[in-house]
Amino acid sequence: MRSTRELGLAKPFATRAAQPGHHYLRVSVEFPDGGVRLNAAHFKQLIVSALKELHGEVGAALPVDVLTYDEKTLSAILRVSSSGFVKLWSALTLLGSYQNRKCAFRVVQTSPFLLALSGNSRELVLD
Amino acid sequence: MVRFKHRYLLCEVVAEDPRCRRCIDERAVTTAAKGALARAYGDYGLACCSIAFTGQVKYLNAYTGVVLLRCRKDFYRLLWSALPLVTHLESRGQRHPCFFHTLHVGGTIRSCQKFLIQYNRRQLVMLLNSCTNKEERESIQKSLLGCFLQEAEEEQFQSGEEEDDCAETD
Repeated sequence: MRSTRELGLAKPFATRAAQPGHHYLRVSVEFPDGGVRLNAAHFKQLIVSALKELHGEVGAALPVDVLTYDEKTLSAILRVSSSGFVKLWSALTLLGSYQNRKCAFRVVQTSPFLLALSGNSRELVLD
Repeated sequence: MVRFKHRYLLCEVVAEDPRCRRCIDERAVTTAAKGALARAYGDYGLACCSIAFTGQVKYLNAYTGVVLLRCRKDFYRLLWSALPLVTHLESRGQRHPCFFHTLHVGGTIRSCQKFLIQYNRRQLVMLLNSCTNKEERESIQKSLLGCFLQEAEEEQFQSGEEEDDCAETD
């Protein structure tokens, strides 16, 4: 359990990973107006600009890694250290536009363990 | 106890230009601090430390350049670490390069005031050592004598006064 002060929040937030751990997120970005192509570098820049807007220079310096990126579906797996997990998720949630186009981040799955992202019991289809 | 706890940051505005001191006012200090917070910590940091915006600069001494800032106890570290990023103060269309030197962080205004009194006494002694003019020397010596006499009187009267500003131990 991280103490409330370390996360910079007033309310307690519990993460159950090992202490100096990482959190993994499977995200996808949606552009309702359509027709946007992003390569991996643009995607990373999108994330960093979202962090910079909400959390400033300190947030933009958060070490976020894009582990995989699929250009066709605009989905990716991100890795972030556990102390910055809340900052990243809140910044992605509040990102509204990219280069004057409306966009939205959907966080599909998160886990402190990368192996857990290989299967998704929500989208499991039997038969 | 359900009440909002604050931290008071006692800072000194240090500038090369002696004319800068007269131009500092509450609004310039607030905008400079908020600008630094916005750059360093973004919208989140700006919002955390700007609650009670009107009551943020509690004390401002234009002659010595001492400022007392207030923020919530949970977020005082954000403000404290953003203060060194202030590079200049703007007031009435003039820019004065300066920096903020944090002297003390206290839980109450009274503890900051006590620290400021002791700090000013030490500064007077240092000024006495480094002054060049005979008149300056005499005026500083007079004020030093005045405050040491007052200190001696305080010690006589201090008999079991309880100090109840221990909010820092929270």
